[in-house]
Amino acid sequence: MNIRQAVKMAWKSILGKKGRSVLTMLGIIIGIAAVMTIVSAMNGYTEKTMEQYAAMGSNQLTVSIYSWMVDEDGNSMAKDYFPDLYDYCNGIKDYVMGITPTGSFSATVVYGTKNSSNMQYSYDEQGNPTGDFPPSLYLGSDQYSICNNLTVQKGRDLTALDSSRYNQVCVMGAMAAKTFFGSVDPVGKTLQVNGQNFDVVGVYAARMGEDSGSGRYIDNFIVFPYTANRLLGSEVSSEFVVKARSADAMVEASSRIGGFLKGLVNTNTGGYNVYPQNQWQQYQNEQMGMISLVLGGIAAISLLVGGIGIMNIMLVTVTERTREIGIRRAIGAQRSSIVTQFLIEAAMLCGIGGIFGILLGTAGSLVVGKLMFQMTIYPAAWITACAFSLSVALGIVFGIYPAVKASNLQPVEALRAE
Amino acid sequence: MAHLVELRTVYKIYGEGLESEVRALDGVSLTIEKGEFVAVVGQSGSGKSTMMNVLGCLDIPTRGDYFLDGTDVRELTDKELSLIRNKQIGFIFQQYNLIQSLTVLENVELPLIYQGINADDRHDMAMEALERVGLAGRVKHKPTEMSGGQQQRVAIARAIATKPPIIMADEPTGALDSHTGHEVLQFLQQLNREGSTVILITHDNGIAATARRIVRLQDGKIVKDEVQEVDWL
Repeated sequence: MNIRQAVKMAWKSILGKKGRSVLTMLGIIIGIAAVMTIVSAMNGYTEKTMEQYAAMGSNQLTVSIYSWMVDEDGNSMAKDYFPDLYDYCNGIKDYVMGITPTGSFSATVVYGTKNSSNMQYSYDEQGNPTGDFPPSLYLGSDQYSICNNLTVQKGRDLTALDSSRYNQVCVMGAMAAKTFFGSVDPVGKTLQVNGQNFDVVGVYAARMGEDSGSGRYIDNFIVFPYTANRLLGSEVSSEFVVKARSADAMVEASSRIGGFLKGLVNTNTGGYNVYPQNQWQQYQNEQMGMISLVLGGIAAISLLVGGIGIMNIMLVTVTERTREIGIRRAIGAQRSSIVTQFLIEAAMLCGIGGIFGILLGTAGSLVVGKLMFQMTIYPAAWITACAFSLSVALGIVFGIYPAVKASNLQPVEALRAE
Repeated sequence: MAHLVELRTVYKIYGEGLESEVRALDGVSLTIEKGEFVAVVGQSGSGKSTMMNVLGCLDIPTRGDYFLDGTDVRELTDKELSLIRNKQIGFIFQQYNLIQSLTVLENVELPLIYQGINADDRHDMAMEALERVGLAGRVKHKPTEMSGGQQQRVAIARAIATKPPIIMADEPTGALDSHTGHEVLQFLQQLNREGSTVILITHDNGIAATARRIVRLQDGKIVKDEVQEVDWL
């Protein structure tokens, strides 16, 4: 008996008991859907965050300097270390590409009828972002763009002179430019930030497509020369990003900057930290990995239960069809033919369940992606392939015992069964 | 030349050594030649069904030897026994033993599927067998949609589809009315005339009268083995 015949027989037998087949498959459908949803949602999320990090650039060091000293109003008395750090970093150009403060601040940005205080993060029922999101506001050096993987699309970048002359200028991210100016060229226009006039001198190119969703966040910003903090009333930034030339250079830069700060910062009144930016990202990935593992474990248990259900039903089927097995044996079916027949039936049952599970899991990962991460996550092809193989494998594993039991029936005994 | 069937002091004992020990076959010796029509007759419990199971390689004797066409059946593996059942023997049962979920044609094709014959040849061979029993027009029906007589004819078609040298019929008319039973017996005689060896198991002396040779079983022993005038139908 060849496989084609066995498949045909199995298909007939499954169709012959539709209701029971569907109920049996349910365990596999739910199990596979759960595994698919969890794995693909987590996988999709990790991939997208990786994309974001890649867009913002790699080989970044974060330098933070802090002080315990406060004045009578409770404001930090930290010294502005940036000019020293800037000079030092630009002296080790073999390792460092640039340095910028990373401080952000909140302010009301107004242009015409557009007012950032009227903007908010809002989503529709599908989890798609709607309306204008308020832009993030950063204070940066002339090397802000180098450090953050930005290139100027229109106008010019910030310069060192903008900082030293306290120029009231700014450069906008692609999404922020779109929010405030639409299709109008923002270069030369004037924004009011907390009532102060700032001229837009340039626009950065988008790092991510607007459709990706992430673009709405990471390209929605406006950068001001860091010395504008006096006008805007924000504190001196104490956190800086250093962009190293390579992963190796990052290690060297890290130790050199550490050595420089050791001589600069008074450790009696404060301290400093130099660490790779992706440290936090690694930590986050580990967390996600743990969550995936726990959820995946729970889903795997549901698959196991589904598999046991298959075994149970196959045992019932074997008992019900004892006489049929006897007839088949009497007219010449070998043990192996009986094993093949029942194994293929179990594998097909699970395979069909797997296909429905994959459909449900695809829907599930779309829903979970939208609700949890505001992302459109389609399961990766390899996940789909694995899910299908897994369901067929389950059928074979849990089908072996009933199939062998069926094949071990003695023809005479089996023929006597009612 | 070897006998087609040869039983040498064959025992089939259930629960051997126990007080409740049953000797279904109690030292039976029997030879059947090619082309014979043998009726094995006996009351219920005489061991005739056990004899058919042993002869049909469905069951293994407890003791004694069984040679089928010179081959010692006790030496054979399960796979080889399956092959013998498939190619050498055509079974006809009292309860037809058709698979209810399959159509008439599929039932008749089944032994050919286990032989690994390709779909076209299989179809032709099954149709030929169904034509012989006069059911070529009802091949798409399920067994449950047919009368008992028709079902038994399907079972006969299945038995002869592989053109086996031996036909074993266990009370083939037991579930049929006398008219259809008559037709079935007629058909068995026809097969015998064409060269098949037919072994008919029955409790009914009238039915046994259709066979040239009668082997009478009682309490697991052969009490009579005689050749008679055939009641040709």
